[in-house]
Amino acid sequence: MNFEAVIGLEIHVEMKTKSKMFSSAPIDFKAEPNTLIAPLDMAFPGTMPIVNKEAVRNAIRVANALHMEIDHELWFDRKNYFYSDLPKGYQITQQDRPIGKEGYLEIEVDGIKKRCDIERIHMEEDTCMQHHFSSYSLLDYNRAGIPLIEIVSKPVLRSGVEARKYVEKIREIVTFANVSDGKMEEGSLRCDVNISIRPYGVDTFGTKVEIKNLNSLAHIEKAIDFETKRQSELLLLGKKVQQETRRFDEAKKETVLMRVKTEAADYKYFTEPNIPPIKISDEFINNAIETCPELYDQKFERFMKNYALNVTDAQILLSNVDYANYYDKCALFTTNYQNLANFFISSILGYLNKNVVDIKDFNVEPKFVAELVDLLKSKEINSTQGADIFNKMVKENKSPLKIKEETGATLISDEVKIRELVLEVIKLNPTLPSDFKAGKTRAQGFVMGQIMRKTGGKINPAIANKIIVEELNK
Amino acid sequence: MNYLDLNIEEIHLALVEKKVTCLELVKEALKRAKEDTNNDFEIILEEEAIQKAVELDKKDCPKDNIFYGIPYCAKDNFSTKGYETTASSNILNGYVPLFDATVIKLLNEKNAILIAKTTLDELAMGGTGTSGHKGITFNPYKNDHTTLIGGSSCGSCAAVAASIVPFALGSDTGDSVRKPASYGGLVGFKPTWGLISRFGLFPFAPSLDHVAYFTRSVKDASYALDLLSVHDDNDYTSYRKERNSVLFDENNISTSKKVGILKEVYDSIDDETLKTSFDKLVNKLKEVGYTVDFVSIDKKLLSSIYPAYIVISSAEATSNNANLDGIKFGPYYDGKTYQEVMINARTNGFSSLIKRRFVLGSYALMKENQEEVFKRAQKVRHLIVNRTNEIFNDYDFIIGLAAPSVAKKVGEVSEQLSDKYLIADNYLAIGNFGGFPSITLPLGFKDGLPFGVNLTSKPYSEKQLFEISYKIEEITGLRNLSVNNKKEGL
Repeated sequence: MNFEAVIGLEIHVEMKTKSKMFSSAPIDFKAEPNTLIAPLDMAFPGTMPIVNKEAVRNAIRVANALHMEIDHELWFDRKNYFYSDLPKGYQITQQDRPIGKEGYLEIEVDGIKKRCDIERIHMEEDTCMQHHFSSYSLLDYNRAGIPLIEIVSKPVLRSGVEARKYVEKIREIVTFANVSDGKMEEGSLRCDVNISIRPYGVDTFGTKVEIKNLNSLAHIEKAIDFETKRQSELLLLGKKVQQETRRFDEAKKETVLMRVKTEAADYKYFTEPNIPPIKISDEFINNAIETCPELYDQKFERFMKNYALNVTDAQILLSNVDYANYYDKCALFTTNYQNLANFFISSILGYLNKNVVDIKDFNVEPKFVAELVDLLKSKEINSTQGADIFNKMVKENKSPLKIKEETGATLISDEVKIRELVLEVIKLNPTLPSDFKAGKTRAQGFVMGQIMRKTGGKINPAIANKIIVEELNK
Repeated sequence: MNYLDLNIEEIHLALVEKKVTCLELVKEALKRAKEDTNNDFEIILEEEAIQKAVELDKKDCPKDNIFYGIPYCAKDNFSTKGYETTASSNILNGYVPLFDATVIKLLNEKNAILIAKTTLDELAMGGTGTSGHKGITFNPYKNDHTTLIGGSSCGSCAAVAASIVPFALGSDTGDSVRKPASYGGLVGFKPTWGLISRFGLFPFAPSLDHVAYFTRSVKDASYALDLLSVHDDNDYTSYRKERNSVLFDENNISTSKKVGILKEVYDSIDDETLKTSFDKLVNKLKEVGYTVDFVSIDKKLLSSIYPAYIVISSAEATSNNANLDGIKFGPYYDGKTYQEVMINARTNGFSSLIKRRFVLGSYALMKENQEEVFKRAQKVRHLIVNRTNEIFNDYDFIIGLAAPSVAKKVGEVSEQLSDKYLIADNYLAIGNFGGFPSITLPLGFKDGLPFGVNLTSKPYSEKQLFEISYKIEEITGLRNLSVNNKKEGL
């Protein structure tokens, strides 16, 4: 018997707003532990939640990108449970009235497009971060209260690769909309998988297994493929799939049991009494949508149209919104767009990969990159000089034109000077012109080699070639 | 007579005219506080209060700041920066807040002087003033420690009734200021929900919680609201629109208003002394021009107030107090797991009464019960509020005895299924259900103990409510009543 997997995903996205969901504490993922905390984040008695408008704007943007119905009233609920990472003993979330519902996104697998329906998107707050040690645990409240959006798909995905594409697409939306860093490995995008299997052609659902702790796209795909196989084997052996929570073991590349689910937890939801329902005006919603940073498809179209790049290069530049944004900034200072793309992909990305630097920490002014691209294009410098200037530019964030001046890294393009050098060589080898005229083109190369040697390779070859031919033809 | 026995308005005048200094007032208040034996206080802030008084005396008392140098108390469920705040619960022993409640901040800015934090029923849950971690708070009208003052704002009520301070902050979730005010012969007032910021008030049940307070005169109550009613960005439920002044002109009060007596409340009270006084008041009100009729809500609905209140408030309370887990503040009890740490803290930290409420609240919120218990209680709440609003279409005020009896003796038990208990002893929660402004005023005495009358009006009609209250104060003659200034009333 053949089985198909039925997969639903719950994705939590940590927003990079300036302050937390319900408090004024700033957010900085790199800050020292327990330095960014407002009294509310540690649930001091008498503190009250204040809704972060920026978070609402973000949620609207994502909801819109996912073609969702956006609620014109904001409602928040309390999800009550005790846990050491939950300061208030409840999480403020949107249970009854999510900000967005009934949306979809499109993925493409092997050239075939598939529409994935999305049930809901809602806002909530993050818990504090726990660090467990053998005999104690440490709590970092910097994370407590960071705004999250949770995106819940319908059980419409059917394979590991579909799930991966779906998460990729979500990540693309939240990063392009500048809502989140979307980094799975750092936990700013987290994915829980619900998966069951059933024989093809059957409408009912099998027993659902939840997989947690998936911190990369590859793991999502592998975990689902493994789990599909595991469940299929169980059923084929006449065994039952147990309702349980599993995690992905990176070393074994398998899912392993975390806990068996008994009854579903009762979170005793009720409406948050400290936040009355908030009307969101059409104006606010429209403004949020209109001012949303360019999403992938728009950006791709614009890159193709304005920069006339080849498709592969555009795809590479758009594989990370920060690449695209940096490219955009450089493109303000040059019109050699394709050269800029080539340079970005080979030199800058090469540098970033080699030195394991994030593009966000690449502090060279875009204008300088543009200058360097133009210099290379004009052949005023050669590629070796270009590489030297690049290294210096990265180190000192300095203008390539200045570096060129200071280091004398310049090609001799002065025709009088070049002609002098060429004549000197011909004088020492008086047979060259007649050889050349007799068809021995080697003579041209010989002259070029000689003047290059004399100048340490600093001759502008285009100009030199022109002059050499002129003189040999005399 | 001591200046401390006057009301705020009179003390202010004496300060302006330099008949008394802030230091003299504060020293007298501290002396009385320390001599008090009724268990009014969690902590007395002697040093800080004296220091502030000395500083204030260096300047003239400004004529336009009536709270300048006025000693006051705050219930110990208001967050006070740097001063231990326990809400009279062992689970918060040693907790020193990092910030001031907005009301504390406002009073501080106006240079009122906080001299003490007062006792309450543990975490403000309770109406007897007996369940705080320091034990029973007694009624100062009986000096033999036999009589309760009521709660949950027991210490604040007793301190104002005993003339230790002319003003004290309390909180009112069901009637926690307005009921004890009746037992202590005081003005007990809560405004429309949202007018006074709750930021820094330890929550019991936010949808019902109000900052409220005790004074000894209606005018003082209006001055206090004038000071405390400001929008607060720290409280998302804070009223956002422009606020009208609540200060009134006592020489220009219109009595062409309609007053409705809640018939079911009236009928369920069997104490003839109280009823007689109430009848007298009604007649006098008519004499001065008010129209007074009986109005009816519905006996069944009124009998449902108490169960609905218990369900909603306990449900919210179980959630609000889930932060008290021994991990972040308060006494830490060890444990092998986080569950053990929390269970130890909560087992040791809460009294059995609190645990009972948490069990009730949790039960009401459970998935299988929520529709039948919690949501049903919410429906009852809406029905009562809707019916009350209907009454407010025809009447400006609802009036009734604030309690069916004078203060109870220690150990006295109410017949919990009687109409008297279910209706007359609990109907003040209507004011919390609908967030209506509501005020209790002293009406008379029985066996040496005061009792009061309550008036409730439509949202944002505080000024009108103060005006009729002022008229009633004239009728009863019970302005500035305290144990040091006993009067008879009606």
